[in-house]
Amino acid sequence: MKPISSRRARAIVVALAAGSLALTACSKNEGGDSGADSKKDQKEASVQSKAVTYADAAGSTGPAEAVPGAKTGGTINVYQEAGLSHLDPGQIYVSDAGQVANLLFRRLTQFKEDGKGGVSVVGDLATDSGKSSDGGKTWTFTLKDGVKDQNGNAITSADIRHTVERQYAKFIFDGPTYLQTWLSGADYRKALPNGGFDGKHLPDSVLATPDAKTVVFHFDTARPDLPQTLAMAGYAVVPEKTDTKEKYDKAPVATGPYKIASNKVGKELVLTKNTNWDPKTDSVRHQYADSFDLQFGITESTQTKRLIADQGADKNAIQLTGGVESTQIQDVIGNAAVSKRTVKGYQPYVMQLTFNLDRVKDIKVRQAITYAVNSKSLIAGEGGAYGGDVAPNYFAPTLPGYEATYDPYGRLKTPQGNIAKAKEILKDVPAAEKKVVFAYSNSEAGQKRKVAIEDALTKVGFNVVSKEVDSASYYEQIGKLNNPYDLYITGWGQDWPSAGTVITPIYDGTQVADGSSNYSHVKDPKVDALIKKALSEDPTAAAATWKEAQHYLLEKVIPAAPLWYTKQFQLSGSNIGGARYGSVSSLIDINRLFVKS
Amino acid sequence: MFQFIIRRTVGALVTLILIGAATFFLFVAAPSDYASLACGKDCSPARLEDIRQALGLNLPIHQQFWDFMSGIVMGRDFPTGHCSAPCLGQSFYSGDMVWSTIMDRFPTTLTLTAGGAVVFVIVGVGAGMIAAYKRGTMVDKVATGVSMVLSSFQIYVLGPIVLLIFVYSTGWMDNPAYHPITENPWKWFTGLLLPVLVMATIFTAQYTRMARSSMIEQLAEEHVRTARAKGMSNKYVFFRYAWRGSMIPIVTVLGIDISAMLGGAVVTELTFSLQGIGRLAVDGAVHKDLPLTMGVMLFGAFFILIVNILTDIAYAYIDPRVRLS
Repeated sequence: MKPISSRRARAIVVALAAGSLALTACSKNEGGDSGADSKKDQKEASVQSKAVTYADAAGSTGPAEAVPGAKTGGTINVYQEAGLSHLDPGQIYVSDAGQVANLLFRRLTQFKEDGKGGVSVVGDLATDSGKSSDGGKTWTFTLKDGVKDQNGNAITSADIRHTVERQYAKFIFDGPTYLQTWLSGADYRKALPNGGFDGKHLPDSVLATPDAKTVVFHFDTARPDLPQTLAMAGYAVVPEKTDTKEKYDKAPVATGPYKIASNKVGKELVLTKNTNWDPKTDSVRHQYADSFDLQFGITESTQTKRLIADQGADKNAIQLTGGVESTQIQDVIGNAAVSKRTVKGYQPYVMQLTFNLDRVKDIKVRQAITYAVNSKSLIAGEGGAYGGDVAPNYFAPTLPGYEATYDPYGRLKTPQGNIAKAKEILKDVPAAEKKVVFAYSNSEAGQKRKVAIEDALTKVGFNVVSKEVDSASYYEQIGKLNNPYDLYITGWGQDWPSAGTVITPIYDGTQVADGSSNYSHVKDPKVDALIKKALSEDPTAAAATWKEAQHYLLEKVIPAAPLWYTKQFQLSGSNIGGARYGSVSSLIDINRLFVKS
Repeated sequence: MFQFIIRRTVGALVTLILIGAATFFLFVAAPSDYASLACGKDCSPARLEDIRQALGLNLPIHQQFWDFMSGIVMGRDFPTGHCSAPCLGQSFYSGDMVWSTIMDRFPTTLTLTAGGAVVFVIVGVGAGMIAAYKRGTMVDKVATGVSMVLSSFQIYVLGPIVLLIFVYSTGWMDNPAYHPITENPWKWFTGLLLPVLVMATIFTAQYTRMARSSMIEQLAEEHVRTARAKGMSNKYVFFRYAWRGSMIPIVTVLGIDISAMLGGAVVTELTFSLQGIGRLAVDGAVHKDLPLTMGVMLFGAFFILIVNILTDIAYAYIDPRVRLS
């Protein structure tokens, strides 16, 4: 099994680099009373990490619950720094396009949030979150009646089949690959080289569409997470008749409440109401605003300034994936009127100091470094309490199975690092093993992190040799099996609320290869066995197995030192209503927004 | 004149080809390319090869270069459709044709450039001329003093201050944005007024000082002294004799500034969040988007060469002693 989904972390690099590029001396912006904020945030975190439930037909039936006080009409302006690289759902993997996809596209299933931390998977195009049989190896979905694309064509099972099969074509290379590899193995493209465009299809033993309303997936092993996987934007439906292959990236056909009115890539994307979207078939989305006007090329700094000023068109504006620029955090939280217009929460990303186990073989060295690293200093460079929180373990607060108090290295008690303990561990370690090569990205954020890491490790007695790596190719460089580095900071976030999308990609020993996300090159039989076991269990049983895997990794293997959890802090204009933090997207919940007046 | 234009045009074409070649081969010499960036962190050799094939990066380098350069005159075919001449390729990042992207962004840059040039030429050169004419008086001292202060400002300092005052704090003006003149002339004018004025302010200061010193130098020339000795009035001497001679260095610098601005006023565009050629150049470099970078480089170089030719022609009109050869 080879789930490959590490470009989520590229989104982290993009998002954090974009935010970090605006950092200057941050000593003033500690984020207010860090202690009080952290405790409140951790309480909220436990809400964000509730287990996901699978809803039945009742939970999947529209319309979506009305947002209190919602009004129709108006245009919502959306500010974003970088343009969207793709609009073809099959190519969507990163969070910015994913946010837009929530407005444009529907998929078999979708996440639904109750605003109190409860997240369920509901049927979106399907009547429910799916029915499994054969020990979880077979999943059957029935399509809802009355779901049409923007042209008024009904969505059928043939469209779902086409959506899946086109992912096998070579022109689709940027989207998720979970489903394809689960259906057809690691070399899935060989199973259908032309992506179904030549009339050839996947066999019924893999993907069956017995009638226009039914879709059946067959796997060789249980796939309890499938409903969550199918909720990804990358698996949103592409109607077969309107698929223009490479050209689809510019003009995709909408099935959601909005459709594309105009698209100037990297400049402006305007969405208007899709009159063929039926709210009665949709239990998640709304269609309050007349249009969304996405404007690109606006830096996070300018976004923050505009939204704080809240003048003119900025009153109707939100940030897409950007957040409050770290140097302006105090301007936001120090002003009650502005502070009321923020949403915040934990992101799914955990930043870690990863060890190259092919080079850092002595577990005492890894232990010592894990004790020594100064999370407090690193977090200060990210914007203080509004930028991150100390991570005592590998599971983010957004992940079911998150254990707030699981802290085997005392990182919560000594976030600045436990130098004495680290020195004690290193007492008998030969000097040759105290020389470590640390790779860091040559971005502004990377430079700050380098200082913090060097400072902490030097205090313990390490001889740190820092090597700068081009930020654009950072993950490519550290992803090479024979890279010349001992330590590097990496970040990872779940693709959906399951530890399977965290432990597996980065610690599965069968995935040690060039370009793999297993940056530490862990190859532990016990870890592999636990992963295999958890992936075939139902979510409740799997949670206990993932917990065991995490504990074993962190205490007995130590492939990485957990550093900090990342946070999101976003601002919107005063005329925007319905703003709420979305646990699944880790961004403002774009489905609920309306213009107040 | 005709021979001059032909000769310079041929020279410009050769220069463009050389610039294109230099840009292309420097780009491909970089250790990583767009394919590896697009491939992401789970990149496998097979996946990387798929991307390279989709983008045409698997072809020999000389073939890629030839396809790009020949496409400029003959057009090219891509999986997404035909790209008519002048075809500057298809952006790796956006998938759009580079020429249409540049044409979409160019009006913003053109408005900034033209608007700024009108202001700083009229105001800057005018103020400098007046300062030279009234040399030693309070007018001269004020003009010189103000230009010295303003020339020490930078766009990335003055721009945010102007935005803070006129947009964020008071709401007197909307966020700067380009609106096509054909849609709404008033919005077109007001949309870029702030960035044009900020840019013009910086340049005005420089042109004031340059015009003043150039005029003072001309006023010391022998032919001007002779004219005065013959009894011609100051005003006549100033506007008939000295003015033309003083324009040569101004025209030279103006040509350089306009061609640079047409290639993209990056700092202005970044400061005011405008989407012009400058931002496009930055995006191309950041995304390792070879076609976009090549396209913007050639587009900018084209204008530099055109403006150089026009500047040389202007010399001949300003100074009869200059012969185009």
